[in-house]
Amino acid sequence: MLVMQNLLLRRGSWQRRYHFQVEPNTILTIQGRSGAGKSALLAAIAGFEPVAEGDIQWQGQSLLRLAIEQRPVSMLFQEHNLFEHLSIAQNLKLGLKFSSATEQQAAINTAADALEISAYLKKMPKELSGGQRQRVALLRTLLRPEPLILLDEPFAELDAYTRELAALWVRQTAKTAHKTVLLVTHQDEDVERLADQNLILD
Amino acid sequence: MAQRSSQISGYLALVALVSVTAWAFYGLSSLAEGRLAGSVFTDPYIHRILGFSLKQAALSASAAVLLAVPVARALYYLPNLLGKRAFLALCLLCFVLPTLILITGLVALLGSAGSLSPYLGKSWNLYGLQGILLAHLFLNLPFAIRSFYLQLQALPASSWILARQLKLSSWQQWAVLEWPQLRARLLTVWVFIFVLCFNSFAVVLSLGGGPQSTTLEVAIYQALKYDFNIPEALSLAWLQLLITGSFYLAMTRFGSSAWLSADTARPEFLPRLRSWQMLYQQLIYYLTWTFFLLPLLALIPSWWQINFEGLTKINLIKPLITTLSLGLIAASLAVLIAVLVLSPIRWARRQQQQQKQWLLEGLANHSLVLPAMVLSVGLYVWSLRHLDLEVWGIFFVILVNTLILVPFAVQQLKPRLFQFDDQYQYLAQQLKLNAWAYWQVVLPWLQRDLQAAFVLCLLLAMGDVAVFSIFATDTWISLPWLIYSYAGSYRIAEASVLACLFLLICAALVVWLEKIKNK
Repeated sequence: MLVMQNLLLRRGSWQRRYHFQVEPNTILTIQGRSGAGKSALLAAIAGFEPVAEGDIQWQGQSLLRLAIEQRPVSMLFQEHNLFEHLSIAQNLKLGLKFSSATEQQAAINTAADALEISAYLKKMPKELSGGQRQRVALLRTLLRPEPLILLDEPFAELDAYTRELAALWVRQTAKTAHKTVLLVTHQDEDVERLADQNLILD
Repeated sequence: MAQRSSQISGYLALVALVSVTAWAFYGLSSLAEGRLAGSVFTDPYIHRILGFSLKQAALSASAAVLLAVPVARALYYLPNLLGKRAFLALCLLCFVLPTLILITGLVALLGSAGSLSPYLGKSWNLYGLQGILLAHLFLNLPFAIRSFYLQLQALPASSWILARQLKLSSWQQWAVLEWPQLRARLLTVWVFIFVLCFNSFAVVLSLGGGPQSTTLEVAIYQALKYDFNIPEALSLAWLQLLITGSFYLAMTRFGSSAWLSADTARPEFLPRLRSWQMLYQQLIYYLTWTFFLLPLLALIPSWWQINFEGLTKINLIKPLITTLSLGLIAASLAVLIAVLVLSPIRWARRQQQQQKQWLLEGLANHSLVLPAMVLSVGLYVWSLRHLDLEVWGIFFVILVNTLILVPFAVQQLKPRLFQFDDQYQYLAQQLKLNAWAYWQVVLPWLQRDLQAAFVLCLLLAMGDVAVFSIFATDTWISLPWLIYSYAGSYRIAEASVLACLFLLICAALVVWLEKIKNK
C-alpha cells in the first residue's frame, strides 16, 4: 500500500499538504488545476522534490530515507524522457531488467505493436513527433520492473485515437503486471477509461 | 542598412587579415625568388625533425586530453571542493601564462640545479622531449580541464533526473551521459592542443636541448637566423602550414558540437559518490593543484639567491611599459577586427549558408595554423629591403600579434553573437534599425564578452616571444624578452624575480577576467 502521511511540500510561499492512501494494484488518477501540486507530488514520491513534513510509505516502509535509485518507482515526466543522442531502440533498453535479452526484445516488440510505434525503433528521437516520443517513453516506463508507476500527463500530446489506444494499453499492462499507478491528467475521459480511484487536488 | 554596412566592414577586415599573410609569404617568396628547397623533402635530418615535431605534439595533446578527463570529472562531481574557484582561475592563468615564466620556473624546479632535481636520479635531464612534454602539459592541461568541465556542466539536469530515475549504474552513466557529452569535445580539444604544440616555439627553443629535439618551427628560425637559407625556411614553412592546416580542417569538419539542452545543470541531481570514489576524485584534484603550483612556487626560492645590488640596476619601467603598450594595442585591434569579421560569418549562418560560413570562419581563424615565425620572418625580410626596422619594427610586432590573436577573440565573441542572432535578429530587422542604433543594441549585449576577449588577448599578447625575437632591437625591449636574456645567460635568480613580477601582473589580469566571466 502507498501511504501519504500528512505529507507537506513547500517551495517558497507555495505549499501543499497530502494525506491519502492507495491500495496495491490500483490505478489512481489525479486531477486538479495548474499549480495544485500534482506533478510536485509525483516528484516527491520519486525523490526529486524535498519533503518538508510527513512521510511517504510503500508497503510499510518509508521512502524518504531511500535514494532516488533505491525507490521502487518508475516515472514518466512531462518532457525530457528520451536521450536525444541515442536511438529509440537504445533508449528503450535503458532501465529494463528481463531475465534474457530475447525475452526483453519480445516484450518490447509486443508493446511497440500495441502502441503502434514498431516502425520507429531504429529512428532517433528528433525524428519523432511529440506524441510518438511520449508513447515510446510510456512503453519503457511500464515495462520496467518497479511496482510503483508514476505518469505525469502521459497522454497530453496524443490525438483522440492514440490516446484511447495508449490508455487501454496502460490499464491492461498495469493490471497484468500488478502495478500501482498514479496518473496525472486533465481529461475526464482518462479517468473513465483508467481509474480505479480518482483524486482531485484543490 | 545596418547589416549591409557591417558586412562591408567585415569583408574589408577579412581582406586585411588575409593580406597580411599574403604579404608575409610574398616577402619570403620574393627573397627566395620563388624557389623552394626541394632537398628539404628528401633530407633525412628534416624527416627526423618532422617526426619529432609530430611526436611531441601528439604526445602532448594526448597526455593533456587523457589527464584532463578525470580532473574535469572530479570538479564536476564534487561541487564543493575546497578552492575550486581558485583552481579554475589558476587553470586560466596556466593556459595564458607567458611561456618564459613557466620555463624559468621549470628550470628552477627541475633544471640541473633545480630544487627537485637531486631526487630524480643522476640520469634526469630536463632538456629534451621530457622537458618539452612537461611544459606543454602544464600550458595545455588547464585548457583541456576547463573545456571538459564546461562540457560536463552543460549536461542538462533533466538528463541526470532521467538517469537516476532509470537507476543507471556508474558505468551506464559514463556510457550514456558523460562519454557522448565529452566525445563531442575530445577531438576538437586534441587537435587544438596539437596545433598549439606543433607551432610551439619558445618551449622547444629553451627546453629542446639540441638538434635531436628540434621542431619545424625552430628549424625555420634556425634556417633564417643562423644559415639565412630563405628557400629552406620557405619550404619548411609550407610543410608546417600543410600539416597544421590539415589538422585544422579535420577539426572544423569532424569536430561536432555538443548536444545541449535549454535546461541548465543543477548539482542536486548528480549521483552520489561512494566514499572511496570521493577520496579518489579529491586525490586527483589536489595532485593537479600541486602540479600547477610547483613550477610557479619554484620561482620564489630563487629570489633569496639574488644579488639585489644587481637587481636595482635593471631598468624595469621601460620593458614593462613596452609590454603593456604592445599588449593593449594588439588586444584592442584584435577584438575590434573579431567583431567586424564576425558580421559576414553571422550573416552566412542566418542564411544557412554552411559552406560559406565555414570558409569565412576558416579565413578569420587562419592565423591559428600559421607559424608565427613564418609571418614574422616574411614581413621581416620584406621590410629589410624597404623600411627602417628601428622605426617600423614595433609596428610589425603589433601587426603580427594582432593577426595571431584574432582567432582567440573570435572564439570568445562568436557564441554570444550567435545567441543574439537567435533571440533578437528578427526583432532587430523588424525594427529597421540603422547601423548606429543596431550597434547600440548589440554592444551592451556583448559588453561582458568584449571585456573578456580583450583581457584574454592582452594576456596572450604580453607573453609573446616569437614575434619579438625577430623584430627586437636594442632600443626597445619587452619584459618576456628581458627574462629570456637573463635565463639565456644563466642568471636564473634575476630571471625568476622578473618572472614573479610578470606572473603577478598576469594573475591580476586573470582575476579580472574571472570577475568579468562570473558577473
